[in-house]
Amino acid sequence: MTVYLLRKLLGTIPTIFGVALIVFLLFHVVGGDPTYQMLGKYATAEQVAELRHQLGFDQPLHRQFVGFLREIVTFDFGESYATKQKVSRMILDGIVPSLSLTLPAFFLTTLIAVVIGLLVAYFRGRWIDRVTVLLCVLGMSVPVLAYILFGQYFLAYRLQLFPIAGYDPEWPERLVYLALPILISVMVSVGFSVRFYRTALIEETSQDYVRTARAKGLSEPRIYLKHVLKNSLVPIVTNVVMDLPLLVLGAFLLEKFFGIPGLGGITINAVHDSDFQVIKAMTIFQSFLFILGNVLTDVAYTLVDPRVSFDGR
Amino acid sequence: MHRRFHDLLPLLLVPALMLSAGGCTPRKKTDTANTLNTYQPSRIKGLDPIYADDIYSGTEVKRAYEGLLQYHYLKRPYELAPNLAEAMPEVSADGRSYTFKLKKGVLFQDDPCFKETGGQGRELTADDVVYSFLRLVDPRLVSTGWWVLDGKIEGLNEWRESAKHAPPDYTKPITGLQALDRYTVRITLVRRSAQFLFALAMPFTSIVPREAVQHYGKEFLNHPVGTGPFRMAEFDRNSRLVWVKNPTYRKELYPSEGESGDKEAGLLEDAGKPIPFLDRIVVQVFDETHPQWLSFLSGKLDATGIPKDNFAEAVGGNHDLTPELQKKGIRLHKNPGIDIVRTTFNMKDPLVGRNKLLRQAISLAYDAEPYIELFFNGRAIPAQGPIPPGVAGFDPDFKNPYRQYNLEKAKELLAKAGYPGGKGLPPLEYSATADGVSRQTTEYLQKLLAPLGIKLKVNTYSWPEFQAGVKNARGQLWSYAWNADYPDAENFLQLFYSKNASPGPNDANYSNPEFDRLYEKALQLQDGPERTALYQQMVRIVVEDCPWIFAVHRSIFSLVQPWVKNYKRHGFEHNAMKYYRVDPALKKQ
Amino acid sequence: MGAEAGSIANEEVRPARSLWSDAFRRLRRDRLAVLCLLVVLAYAAAALLAQFGWIASPWEQEVGKAFAPPSFDRLELIMGTDFLGRSVLYKVVHGARVAMSVGLLASLISVPIGVLLGATAGYFGGWWDDAVVWFYTTVASIPGIMLLIAITLMLGKGMTAMCIALGATSWVHLARVMRGEFMKHKSREYVVAAESLGAGHSARIFRHIFPNVSHFVIINFSIQFMGAIKAEVILSFLGIGAQGLPSWGVMISDAKDELSRWVFWPWLNGTTPVWWQLAGATSAMFFVVLALNILGDALRDALDPRIK
Repeated sequence: MTVYLLRKLLGTIPTIFGVALIVFLLFHVVGGDPTYQMLGKYATAEQVAELRHQLGFDQPLHRQFVGFLREIVTFDFGESYATKQKVSRMILDGIVPSLSLTLPAFFLTTLIAVVIGLLVAYFRGRWIDRVTVLLCVLGMSVPVLAYILFGQYFLAYRLQLFPIAGYDPEWPERLVYLALPILISVMVSVGFSVRFYRTALIEETSQDYVRTARAKGLSEPRIYLKHVLKNSLVPIVTNVVMDLPLLVLGAFLLEKFFGIPGLGGITINAVHDSDFQVIKAMTIFQSFLFILGNVLTDVAYTLVDPRVSFDGR
Repeated sequence: MHRRFHDLLPLLLVPALMLSAGGCTPRKKTDTANTLNTYQPSRIKGLDPIYADDIYSGTEVKRAYEGLLQYHYLKRPYELAPNLAEAMPEVSADGRSYTFKLKKGVLFQDDPCFKETGGQGRELTADDVVYSFLRLVDPRLVSTGWWVLDGKIEGLNEWRESAKHAPPDYTKPITGLQALDRYTVRITLVRRSAQFLFALAMPFTSIVPREAVQHYGKEFLNHPVGTGPFRMAEFDRNSRLVWVKNPTYRKELYPSEGESGDKEAGLLEDAGKPIPFLDRIVVQVFDETHPQWLSFLSGKLDATGIPKDNFAEAVGGNHDLTPELQKKGIRLHKNPGIDIVRTTFNMKDPLVGRNKLLRQAISLAYDAEPYIELFFNGRAIPAQGPIPPGVAGFDPDFKNPYRQYNLEKAKELLAKAGYPGGKGLPPLEYSATADGVSRQTTEYLQKLLAPLGIKLKVNTYSWPEFQAGVKNARGQLWSYAWNADYPDAENFLQLFYSKNASPGPNDANYSNPEFDRLYEKALQLQDGPERTALYQQMVRIVVEDCPWIFAVHRSIFSLVQPWVKNYKRHGFEHNAMKYYRVDPALKKQ
Repeated sequence: MGAEAGSIANEEVRPARSLWSDAFRRLRRDRLAVLCLLVVLAYAAAALLAQFGWIASPWEQEVGKAFAPPSFDRLELIMGTDFLGRSVLYKVVHGARVAMSVGLLASLISVPIGVLLGATAGYFGGWWDDAVVWFYTTVASIPGIMLLIAITLMLGKGMTAMCIALGATSWVHLARVMRGEFMKHKSREYVVAAESLGAGHSARIFRHIFPNVSHFVIINFSIQFMGAIKAEVILSFLGIGAQGLPSWGVMISDAKDELSRWVFWPWLNGTTPVWWQLAGATSAMFFVVLALNILGDALRDALDPRIK
């Protein structure tokens, strides 16, 4: 197992190098010019030249690339052009609030969606299935903005069930502030997930072994909970792991409206400011999460599905 | 790092806790009634004074830091007053030299960076003033505030030049910036300047202790250590800042005089009492206006501006509060903003720069009234020239002949300019930023120019790219707002001085020898009728040449909860909140 | 199709033909899929007509006062007006034009890249295959939205940049599928036979194998088209998408603040927030994405012989 994991991780090195190369080409070679913004409204030509020199823009490309690789290895991306804050610190500061919002939302969504998915797969074709699918489609079609504005206006302002916006790193206050955004996040994504799991589960129920189990006289709930669910774990795990990178950036609208200091908002601000140093670091960071997610998926397969062996690719 | 991941553990319990989460509103252990809840509409970059070039970080910086001077809180027109200086400086006979006496016994806030005293803040001295100014000059620090001292103080530019090639020497004597003794600083200017003292009330020139800069290094911008009335308790630059009263703050008193009407407005009730009155200031960062507005309505914010889409809800037809808000006791304050919103013609451009008639025609077609209604809910007045009301040199009777909306005359001038009905005129290159309001403004401008047959080719940029374009004089037109840095018409007129051309603040690259001559003459004069006459002469020259479409001067409407006392909007003083008082009894209701 | 490429090869191509006609028959039977196809075609028609200025033009014109709520007085007022008093209906139609052209152009860029890279990698194998696999794994590892942001920031803003960015980021899936299929097909008898008849590499790739796997391109096309439309909305919402055109993303971005503006609505005899721009743009987007979604599934079912 350890050997397998190590081999997998080593195999990601060329990809990591490729990611670094592409990101470097995109941002260093043709990236924007932050000097005027950094110098403010009274910039002089002398200051511009001086700053470019300081930022190393006048260095040859290969030197800049080596510098960039060093940044990646040390996870030290220098300072943001727009704020002068350390980029690595900005990312680390943003991770916890982002995950505090997306992780619970994600777990809840998956849990609810799998339960509903099992139910509708069991009742498929009947009215309960149709109604659920219809509700899912409707839920998906309401834009997240509408949920946010409605939630803030009625649930928070009118009914005072939740605070309107804000964030507090202390527990349990943090949970109080995050309850409404988590609720909205679940509302928005549960429709899509239910549809996904329903398909995956129904596909599984048409397999031979289900028929065999029925023939053997096993009860339906038992078949569903024990066999179908277990065998559908592969698509479920894939979906879960592939969504993980999204957890980091996925909730930028929620973050902006609820004042949650997460990575989504940081990235969006960086895009607005053309703060390439931050965008670059965020891109690298998320790519690595994705690569890691891929490795984890492979590992998870071997754990949930005995048919996949450690030796297989 | 350890702590952070530890933080995540309780998340696993979240699903179980979710059910019991709603219902209660967070109750802070430290929450006292004497707290002011305020907000910033933008994330705070950092709290190093030498980078505080935006109003948001400037305001936060000034809670902890102070400069030699400040603005008088109540007097209008705006007037400087001593802050860390004991009194206004002594001026030498030639008007070039200012001698400041510092207040004695001013302490920096307690902070671990003061290792020698075991964390107790030490006394502020004249050396700190010199040190803090040199940080602004140090080329390696790339301050955004260098311009306030650039070319003004004797020997300072030479120091900057020498610091480019060798490590800067902060102890090297400089002729124009000297600590004469522990409490005396003398500043000698290259030439007389009526505007120089304003620089000493800006966030850039706040006094910082060397120990904090050295102790925190790059992290200094997250650890403010000043002499000010508040000290930092919590800093999350993306969501929340908490300030508490500085226990070692010296004795400063609430002002006992103001302008007429202040007494009636209750602004002098606390005259002579020690400030600050507040125990805590909680600053919430709102990226979006919707939650900001709802927070104010539910009493969680003590003062707010009015988002443009909530205007009708707050203010009725006669620009008075709606009855609903009046019933809550909320007060509406209206103040002119010292600014101008304008569209710039690039005078370096061979097409628009050389054709005065074309510029005048476009200016005549620019209808400010619907613009004011659509984008400002009437909270603006049409501009006639560069100088806004509220500063000396503004002439309320002056009417700009090219800013009276007149489509017929515009068409006439356009024909004279060589493009009858817009024929033969290529689409004009218009630069804009990519945000929503800028896009809508552009659409409005396109609509205005359509009857003249003038088309715009719109290039959209992010804010930094836009600035880079403007500073390199790319494009033919762009729109911009200019907020005054100090209350003097000179701050607006310098935008036309040829030596300030791109990348300087004269983004039109306007150049007129006669204007330059008058400008240089006015720089030497103190405020008075002679200078005002010169200012008005300069305005007439600029208006005729039409390097800008002078669009509007904005006014600022703010809403204040009934329990907030001593509120008076100040256009330049960043730390007005040290004067605010919260009435706990009223707040409870 | 390569009918003139020799008799044996010709015979081998035939299953592909029957696959297509088979597929059409099955697709026609699926009523929902036909409906979705009609929806997509209707959008395309609206986009085309708007492009030529035959309907909903000019959208820039004021048709009423600012923020007028929906009314049946005139056609252009059915969805109300925006902040300059322009018809929201017209803007929605022109938004379809932007979305459809982005979807089409992006696919036109990404499909050739995906087919070419995937086909050659699968066909030739060796170091070229390694290089292509490395390249698409790398591209796939960078989050699509970040890549899009980077490319649009690099190329400047606007439609062209957005199409290129979308095209450059969305070819990976197709390349992967193509590579797999070509690896399977290259050693099949009909290809070996074509080779013995003197068909060169390019003839084998494009005349012989490609027609047999081209249905994957169609399936992929519908998915990509949908992805492009969604991405256009997000990019425009972030302010780095379409410029000076009434795109759905721009409308949604505008609407975010409008929702807290309350205006009088005669239908209700009361006030209402300004919701019509948001509703118009989102529902327009929702229906076409849903239709493409279902259509994509149906196409896959009908065309992919593996899941008959």
